[in-house]
Amino acid sequence: MAVRVPPVMRRFRSAVGGRPRLPARLSPRRTRLFAFVGLLGPGLIAANAGNDAGGVATYSSAGAKYGYDLLWLMVLITLSLGIVQMLAARMGVVTGKGLAELIREEYGIRWSMLATSAVLVASLGICISDFVGVGAALGLAGIPAQASVPVAALGIWLIIVRGSYRSAERVFIAFTIPFFAYPIAAILAHPHWGAVGKAIVAPHLHAGSSYLLLVIATAGTTITPYMQLYLQSAVVERGAREDELAREEREAVSGAVFANLVAAFIIIATGATLFTHGVHEISSAAGAARALKPFAGHYAEALFGIGLLGASLLAAAIVPIATSYVISESLGYEKGIGRRREEAPVFVNVITTMIILGAFVAMIPGVPVISLLVGVQVVNGLLLPINLFFIWRLARSPHVMGARRSRGLADLVTAITVTVLSALSLVLVVVTATGA
Amino acid sequence: MSAVNATQAPPILHLSSVVGSPLRDSAGERLGKVEDVIVRLGGAGYPPITGFLVRVAGRPSFLGVERISDMGPDGVVLRTEKLDLRHFERRPEEVLLKRDLLDRQLINVEGARLVRANEIELAHAGGSWRVVGVDTGPRGGLRRLLPKGLGAHIATGEFLDWAGVEPFVGHVPTVRLRVPHPKLAKLHPAQIADLVEAASRREGEEIIQAVGDDDRELEADVFEELDDQHQREFLEDRPDAQVAAILSRMAPDDAADIIGELDEERREPVLALLPVRHRVKVRALLGYDPAEAGGLMSPDFILLAGTTAVSEALREVQESRIAPELLTSVFVRGADGSLEGSVPVAALLRAERGSGLGAVVKHEVPCVPPDAPFEEIARLMADYNLTAIPVADEHDAMVGVVTVDDLLAAMLPRSWRRRFGLLGED
Repeated sequence: MAVRVPPVMRRFRSAVGGRPRLPARLSPRRTRLFAFVGLLGPGLIAANAGNDAGGVATYSSAGAKYGYDLLWLMVLITLSLGIVQMLAARMGVVTGKGLAELIREEYGIRWSMLATSAVLVASLGICISDFVGVGAALGLAGIPAQASVPVAALGIWLIIVRGSYRSAERVFIAFTIPFFAYPIAAILAHPHWGAVGKAIVAPHLHAGSSYLLLVIATAGTTITPYMQLYLQSAVVERGAREDELAREEREAVSGAVFANLVAAFIIIATGATLFTHGVHEISSAAGAARALKPFAGHYAEALFGIGLLGASLLAAAIVPIATSYVISESLGYEKGIGRRREEAPVFVNVITTMIILGAFVAMIPGVPVISLLVGVQVVNGLLLPINLFFIWRLARSPHVMGARRSRGLADLVTAITVTVLSALSLVLVVVTATGA
Repeated sequence: MSAVNATQAPPILHLSSVVGSPLRDSAGERLGKVEDVIVRLGGAGYPPITGFLVRVAGRPSFLGVERISDMGPDGVVLRTEKLDLRHFERRPEEVLLKRDLLDRQLINVEGARLVRANEIELAHAGGSWRVVGVDTGPRGGLRRLLPKGLGAHIATGEFLDWAGVEPFVGHVPTVRLRVPHPKLAKLHPAQIADLVEAASRREGEEIIQAVGDDDRELEADVFEELDDQHQREFLEDRPDAQVAAILSRMAPDDAADIIGELDEERREPVLALLPVRHRVKVRALLGYDPAEAGGLMSPDFILLAGTTAVSEALREVQESRIAPELLTSVFVRGADGSLEGSVPVAALLRAERGSGLGAVVKHEVPCVPPDAPFEEIARLMADYNLTAIPVADEHDAMVGVVTVDDLLAAMLPRSWRRRFGLLGED
């Protein structure tokens, strides 16, 4: 009796035939692809979220007020940020746990709750300021914030809650593309490159409290607590294995370097234009873009606007995620980008609430962004020393990190970095709080 | 049980109220401070407290439980007036409650999910002090957050009975402390795999190790259920012989998938360590593309001649060691060895025992070549109402069978395949 094969099947049979193709099942096609994508990841995202609305405002005022004189500082900050971010990535890979989780396990519920509540307050402020940044950036193109902010908020929410970790990561990486606007703007501003080079290697110090304050503010806005919190949890979520440690660390460091290059270009762009033309006071990122127009032209304004939009969108997405990671980790709830509300209710609800709240406040006309940012700075300034201290302690603990703990010179450098940054941060808190 | 007994549940003591409380002698004189409580895990039932880590005159020391007469929120009271302190040393299976368990993750075995210990509950039961449960709710956390005076007013909330939780002890620095996790065996392999995926790497390793120590079969089942990334991760650290031992307990198609996950240079050595029969099957499967029928099929099936009697076919089914989900149909070949049709096992049971398979065989059953894409297989199975579809080579010789469960796993949209096992009551 003949086998009756449906007509469709006959087509398949007549094709190359059912010969097993030997190497097919063993194809290693994934690994090569990831080796390239691996260079872009949570480290790039976390560090670049720092170039958000508040960051751009700070770098712009640094450039407007002192020209290239603060560029030397960016070298030191890059070094510190690189170290801190690398440690966060390392702890994520080695322990498979987020920073908040480790703090809870090693130092108890009180410390972890202190850090958590500080993160919550600071993040809410940053989130608002970044939605304001989205509104302001599109405001340069004549789109009112009341129209642009809700659309941006909804988009961000969908990416985080409806996508997967991988898809969200890709979108976040795409958000860093607008940062290339800043180098272009810097080149368009025709800086004196010789002077730039000199400023980088030869510190030019000023006397006076406003200079010191700007130094501290620049350090504070470049190294913010949510960067480490996001990075460590994201490394965990991405499932990095211990043999990928070197790659993740490299990615964290290169992300920090890229972020600070962008910051340096902002200083160069504003230094070459605003500073040389005597515009020394910049109050916001959008204000910097507007101020650039008379000296560097329409393009510079547009480029600054594009950069601000990308940065604000990135930070408006990263900050709620980082907050939600911290809350879920320290309270012991399910977490994960792309999880539905039924799966990780607390994680999703925190993100949703923060985005709604941030977007809503940002739509109020005339919201006092400056005083908001000052408040954020105080909370962040208090949180950073706590965060850094725990990162340092945890990274050197044989109990937590085993053979991967930091030792000797590396540990000493970390300790110095942590101490200096913490001291700067506390000075900033005191100065801001007392209104000096 | 009498009503009196039921109401006399022993009062619950919170770990957080014992830790930090004073150590007193029998006269009530304050001698020092309690720093941690030591329990012995490993046995069945509620873990007994074996001693305390105390600090007396600034020195950390060990105090055996037999030397105390009472403990409570007001402190731990010595049986004698004399204090005899020893140096603290961890003994096998002993853990420090505060340092090793509190604030850390545990497995809630009932709900098959990971929880965090906000508070550990103690009680005097069965003649000694024991750990009776873990509070994972907000009450336990709040009690420890608030200052001691205020926190003490928070009543005991609902807590998980110790019988339903399993702690992680991999971080406890006792030399190769190996506490078995007997409760894990109650879970379905898929649930254990979900836990491993949700846990951190070390904790995941601990679960797998614990499962493997007790039950090698279960370990292999859990491996089958893990996602690719975790399979890779856990296999990488193991020597070839161990990987082969796990693979030999798996169905050939799953084993082939895992071999595909291994590094290229490890594949041949691992294959060489498999039992011969298994190795032949796995090697044959390795030749197929994972995105086609050949990559999905199982080489285990029953293929009988059309002249075989129904009773004989039923005996084959009974004696076969093929997994039930793979054996929904018996396949029939013609005189030339080519695939002729199939008989569902239920139809076989209903048929006249004496008749030949030729009389009950369904001829219009389609078969697919090994390079048929999933979509095509799915369409055919839906159109022909099949739970298993045979795969045949170009000479119509049957080489395998694709079952509906494997196909479903391959075709489910990514977003549907999330872990719902860890949701607990939500």
